[in-house]
Order: sequence, then C-alpha cells, then structure tokens
Amino acid sequence: MKEPLTVRPEGLYCGAGDFYIDPRGKVKRALVTHAHSDHARSGHTHYLVSKSCVPLLKLRLGQEISVEGIPFGEKRKIGGAQVSFHPAGHILGSSQIRVEVGGRVWVVSGDYKPQPDRSCEAFELVKCDVFVSECTFGLPVYRWVKEEIIYQQINQWWQENAQAGRPSMLFAYSLGKAQRILAGLDSSIGPIFGHGAVHPFLPVYQKSGVSLPEVKKPKEGDGNWAGSIIIAPPAVEDAGWTRRFKGARRAFASGWMAVRGARRRRNLDRGFVLSDHADWAGLLEVIEGTGAEMTKLTHGDGEPLARYLQERGIGASVLEGASMRTEEGEKE
Amino acid sequence: MKGFSELFHDLDGMTKTGDRIERMITYFTSADPEDASWASWFLSGNRIKGAVRTGDLREWASVRSGWPVWLIEESYERVGDLAEALSLLIQGNDDLEPSSLAEVVEGILLPLVSADTFEKAEQIKQAWDRLRPMDLLPFHKLLTGGFRVGVSKGNLCKALAEVGGVQPAIIAQRISGEWDPRTRSFSQIMGKESAEDQSSLPFPFCLASPLQVEPEVIGQADQWWAEWKWDGIRCQLLQGGGAGMIWTRGDESAGESFPELLELCPHLPRGTILDGEILAWGREGMRSFSRLQKRLGRKEPGPSILKKEPVCFMAYDLLRVGEEDLRNVAFLERRKKLEHLIEGIPNGFPVRLSQQVDGKNWQELAKMREESRDRGVEGLMLKRMDSIYSSGRVKGDWYKWKVDPFVADMVVVGAQMGHGKRSNLYSDYTLAVLDPHGELVTVAKAYSGLSDEELKEVDRFVRKNITGKFGPVRSVKPEIVFEVAFEGARASGRHKSGVALRFPRIQRWRKDKTPAEVDTLENLSGYARMGEAKKGDGPKMDDEGNLLLF
Repeated sequence: MKEPLTVRPEGLYCGAGDFYIDPRGKVKRALVTHAHSDHARSGHTHYLVSKSCVPLLKLRLGQEISVEGIPFGEKRKIGGAQVSFHPAGHILGSSQIRVEVGGRVWVVSGDYKPQPDRSCEAFELVKCDVFVSECTFGLPVYRWVKEEIIYQQINQWWQENAQAGRPSMLFAYSLGKAQRILAGLDSSIGPIFGHGAVHPFLPVYQKSGVSLPEVKKPKEGDGNWAGSIIIAPPAVEDAGWTRRFKGARRAFASGWMAVRGARRRRNLDRGFVLSDHADWAGLLEVIEGTGAEMTKLTHGDGEPLARYLQERGIGASVLEGASMRTEEGEKE
Repeated sequence: MKGFSELFHDLDGMTKTGDRIERMITYFTSADPEDASWASWFLSGNRIKGAVRTGDLREWASVRSGWPVWLIEESYERVGDLAEALSLLIQGNDDLEPSSLAEVVEGILLPLVSADTFEKAEQIKQAWDRLRPMDLLPFHKLLTGGFRVGVSKGNLCKALAEVGGVQPAIIAQRISGEWDPRTRSFSQIMGKESAEDQSSLPFPFCLASPLQVEPEVIGQADQWWAEWKWDGIRCQLLQGGGAGMIWTRGDESAGESFPELLELCPHLPRGTILDGEILAWGREGMRSFSRLQKRLGRKEPGPSILKKEPVCFMAYDLLRVGEEDLRNVAFLERRKKLEHLIEGIPNGFPVRLSQQVDGKNWQELAKMREESRDRGVEGLMLKRMDSIYSSGRVKGDWYKWKVDPFVADMVVVGAQMGHGKRSNLYSDYTLAVLDPHGELVTVAKAYSGLSDEELKEVDRFVRKNITGKFGPVRSVKPEIVFEVAFEGARASGRHKSGVALRFPRIQRWRKDKTPAEVDTLENLSGYARMGEAKKGDGPKMDDEGNLLLF
C-alpha cells in the first residue's frame, strides 16, 4: 500500500498533497506542529498551522511570513490529501497533524503530552493507522506528578527564598514552559520578573484566555531583588545577565530534572520536574490509544520504547531521518 | 526514614557547605536520638556491607515494577546510579505512617546481611510496601552502600558540635573507629567533654614558614637544627590511654587507615603525643608520596595492602609525656626526650627518628640540601634550637628551606579545553591561592604534569562542577588542589593577584589537601621579592630588622 507520508532530507513529505511537516531547508508548503524552533523553521514559502499558533509563529519567524491558521478539527483538502490539526497539549497552539490519503491515516504528533496543562489546549487522542510519535522521555524512570504538586513546590521554594531575603531564579524555556509556570505562580509571595525572551509571548497567551500574573521586566525593578522570582531561559544560565541577581537561588524546570545528575551537572540549587512532553506512561497510553498498527518513534532515543512495544505485540520502529532535534539535544 | 529522608534530599540538593551544616543542625536538634545516632553513623562514611547483590536487586525490581530486566538496565544506564534508577522505577507508599530510620536500619537493613536470598527478596518487597516515595532513594543508597550527599566528616562534626556544645574534634573522635549506634548512644556522642576527652585531642600544629631569604639572614647555622623535610603526611600520634589516635593537620582522625602505627601505642607512656610524618616505607627505604596515596582514605586496610604498601612514622618532636605538656620546653631538650623515648621502643615497629642533617655552616647545609631530590625529600627543615612548639605559623621559629623549584599548593578555579591529544578534555587550568582576606585569587595558568588517568579524572570533575563561562574558560568549583612548581614570581597585572609565576607546572595532585589549605598570596609575593633579592637588592627589612614580604 502506498503510504501518505515518506521521509525526505527536508523531513516528512506528503506526495499526494505536495507538502512537508516540520521541514528543514526551504520548501513551498510547510505544515508546522508548533512554534518551537526545532519544528518551526524560517525560509519556507507558505505555512499552515493551528489558529492559536499563528501569532506565536509570527513572533518567532517574523510578522511578514505567509501563514494561515486553521481551527482544530477542521478538515482541509490539499491536493489528494485530507488534512486536519488536533491539539497536542504541548504548548499553546501545538498540534498533531492528521493526514489521510486514499483511506490510509497517519498522525504526526509533533511534541505532545496527555497530562493536563492550564496554559494550552488539552491533548486529543486521534485514531490512526500509523502514528509518528515523539519519545523524548522514552524510559520508565520518567514519571510526572500532577502539575499542581509542582506548582506547590515552586511556590514553596520561592516563599522560602523570599523569607530568607533571597531572589529566586527559575530557568524555563521562554516559549511554553515559562508561561505555564507563570500561570501557576502565587503572586502574593513577591514581584515577578521575566527575561526579555519571555515577554513577547505573554499577550498572546493572555488573549487566548490563559490567566497570567503581572510580569515585569528587570529594568522596571529597583535593583532590590530580594523576595522576587525571575523567570529566564536556560540559555542565559551562565551569562552575565544573571549576575545582577545577587545571592539568587537557581532552579530549572524541566522533565530532565527527574534525574539528579542532570541537576548536579548544572550546579543548580533545585530541579522541578515539570515537562511539556509525555512521560513513559503517557507515551504508552497514547500509543495504545491511537490503535495504530505501527508507531514510528522520533525525537529521542526510541530504541527501548520500540523494543518494549514490540515485546507487547504492538508494531513499532525508530523513524530515522525525521528527527529535528539535532542542535538542541535537551530542547523541550 | 521519617525526617532522615527529608534531610537526605535537602543535603543532596544543596550547593553550599554552610547551608548543609545549618540543615544538619536542624535535623540533629529535633531527631529522635536513635535516628540521630544512625544518621551520624551513615553520614560519617560507614556503610552496611553485604546486604544485597545488585544483580538480585534488579531482578526483584523487575518483578515488582513489571518492566523487563533489560528495561531496568537501560534505565540504570541513563540514570547512571542504580539506587536512583530503582527509586524512579518503584512506587512507594504514601499512605502509611512513616517508619523511623532506626526501625528501617535495625528492622530491615541489618538482618539482611545474614539472610538467605529468598528471605532477602521478601524483606525488600516488604520494605517497598512500607516506604514513602521520598524514602526510596535514601533507602536504596543505604542498601547498596554508597552514600554521598556532599557532607564531609568535618562538617558533620561541626554540626553535631554546635548541637551538643562540644568541640568538633571531640565529636570527631567519638564517631571514629569501630562503633555503631547499638553500642554507643547519641547522648554518649553528644555528652559533655571529660578530662579524658581533652587529653585525647591533638595540640595545634607548629608550622614552618618558607625560607624566602638567604639563610645567613636568619642567623648563625649553629643556632639551627636542620633535618630533612619529609614528603609525607604530617600528623600527631597520641597515646590516649586506651586506643591510640592519629590526627592529621586537618583535624581528621587517620588511625583507621594506619593500624600498624597504632600498634606503637602500648610501648609509649600514657598521654604521649609525638609529632612526625607518615611515610611510605618499604624494604628499600622511603618511597614516593604517590605510594603513600594508595593508603590514604582507605579505612581498615586489608592484609595485602598492608604488606604491599607499608608505612612508617618518622618522629621529629615530642609534645607531651603523661600529663606533662612539653610545648614550652626548648626544642633541643624536647629532642633529647624524644630520642630517649624512641630508643625504648622494641625493634621491629615501624617508627624512625628524623635524623639531624649535620653541617658546620650554611654552605655545608646548602650543599646537603642539593641532595634533597635524590633523597626523595623536599629540602631542609630549620628549627631554632631554643624554639618552643608554637601554635600555627610563627615566623622565626621553624623554616622550610625547600629545594628549587619553588612549589606552592594551588586550587583549580578555572579550566579550558586543550588541543590536539587533549582536545575535548579540560586540561588547562587556572590556579588560585588565598589572599590576605581569605579570598581565592588567580596567580597562574598551568597545563601538563598530570598522567593521562589523572587528566581524565580532573576532566570528569570539571564537567560536573562548572559554575560559569567566560569565553572558552569555565569557572570551576574550587576543590582540586595541585602542587605547582615554578621558577620564580614577579609582579604583574595579568592576574588579579598582581603576581605572575614563571614556568608554572603541575607537580602533583594533592588529594589530601582542601582548598582552605592552599598557599597564600603573601608567600608567593615573598618569592617575587626573593627573585629581586637575587639580583643584588638584598632582602628588604623595616627599621626593626623584620623582613618585608610585600
């Protein structure tokens, strides 16, 4: 049987519709799952994304790009292919892309998580024949607790630092994780500051109905950071930018923090296990739920998960050549 | 594990020593005495041996979790720590009243040692039913032996001392050697200091200053006692009534590592304190410091290592006999008493007397000093014949007249990747010493001088302890101390310290030293001055004839 999607050097390609999903290079038509840089790349002629992804994509790639937003669930004919976008629960506007050609259905998950997240649309399970799944955290040691518990931990940590007269620096990816954390902060503890990379996305989140506390820019501060929390991307962890926050305790919010070594290597005071990806149980639940006869694993070390699925009689393999996660190994 | 697991996770998460000490004080103030006692036992480096085989543990974990053994292995590979991997794979039980540490240790862990495999499996299963999720990691750590949360024995003692109002050194002694909480209670550990406690403590060490002037400046050669500067571990050997004790300069008790030296004690008068140096010493005589390192930090050495890496105690001073404190007695007299004492020890014990290096004048001594390298010593020690045994470093009493090149202990504060064979290895180091305020200031960059194995070990340390980036240089947590050799020092604006060293190179890794023990900027500046002096300036002195080092 002819499959709707194949792997090309640029990424996953649909011949029937002449489009790519999350491609590299320069292509005519790019369907993009979400606005993270390892999925949304500049240089393509036209972009098709979910409606709530449009402003984020423009912030990332430029206001002048040619982009169309499509509501979740709406069916669209592109050449010989029928396409629809479904919430992936990863960040605001993140989608799984369903592609049907001649009755054969593939779903490309992008990044996803089935766990609830107050800062984005809830994950939707989509039945398919072939499921292209991420597996960033494809080992059973990765097991997430409810986000409410993590929020409690973060607020408690912040509170303790504030009581000791110390600033709290919390590193989190600037798009998605930062807003998710902000949505759970208890602003009665102290002032909240955000690195410049975090700010542009805040109005977009607010407009889509996510309630966020007041977030100031560091230059609006009076230089006394005691008791405040500062949200900044991990890229500035070692940069001079952080030096002004004297005596700050440093923490990182990421699924990688589940393992102590990851926290210790960065010499952090604290690691909060908060991920926007599916954990092991989430991967299994979704993969089984799709009813797919074959699951193709990408993004991460898929070997153990593929073997585990095979041993349980579920078709699975590692999809070579489609992974976008080359330059940013630990990107979430 | 109630209270203890919280302590474990907090200590493990902390990055600052002061925080860890504070946290331990909080724990020891409120913990049940039995728990506190066990916590002290574990934190001071003791472990339960032979509780389980890790292979069995993986199988049981597989049965328990439902994951195949290969997936447990994969998880272990990813996590890099079996105790941690298991803790992430097993579900704990949050619903039950948490058990105390003493209950877990005495009820589960200790009985495991003598149990058969079937019983062990049962016990572990029951433990997994009973423990909270947060108990699992500390439990698995206790079970598999390794237990590191960044707490040194010294810091543990500081915390206990604070809680009990007892000197840290006395605590150190009470939690050293063979003991466990079933035979020594927490109140015994924390009890008031007795006279006996006091008499089992070492005296503050008398330290030598580096000789940074020509020897004529310090007087006539016949006012000075010269002996070799031994390349070993400085320590005091105490006959404290019962068992003997060995105290190093860092107030660490080292007797457990050198049991053959403690055998001397029955032949010494009660209360004796000898000052000297532990040296690696084989049939052929003295061996290098690197041989001695094989014995360092190894508690209860087995018979084979005792035979392969023998040591001896090179005695050079006598500080107390019985109740009599000899520290205010002149050196020459102490020396006579020491000779008499050593003569009284039967043959066959690993003890020697540090001999006088006899020279009629400075020229002769300087000549003898040239032999230092061949003899495997660091140079000469000069002790003023009439000097008392002072506390710490008193200028003018003891000098170390080391052979060229100059050496100083420095701590690594920065690292950079090397090139060629060393590309992708942090092999070039920025080194620092202490300034008068106790701050680390950089004085040199050095590479080479380490073996490939040491290089890899340092690289691993660097990668785990990067604290910042400055271009290609990574700042590193100050922990690794190197002995650095150099040809001289001069004033320079290149380093923050204002001093630059000529041809610095790493001589060896001083695993026995902490960053607090590195050399001072004052010493290095003194070397800089000496370089000038050689040019004909003569040493600089103030009006009263005191040497000016800055």
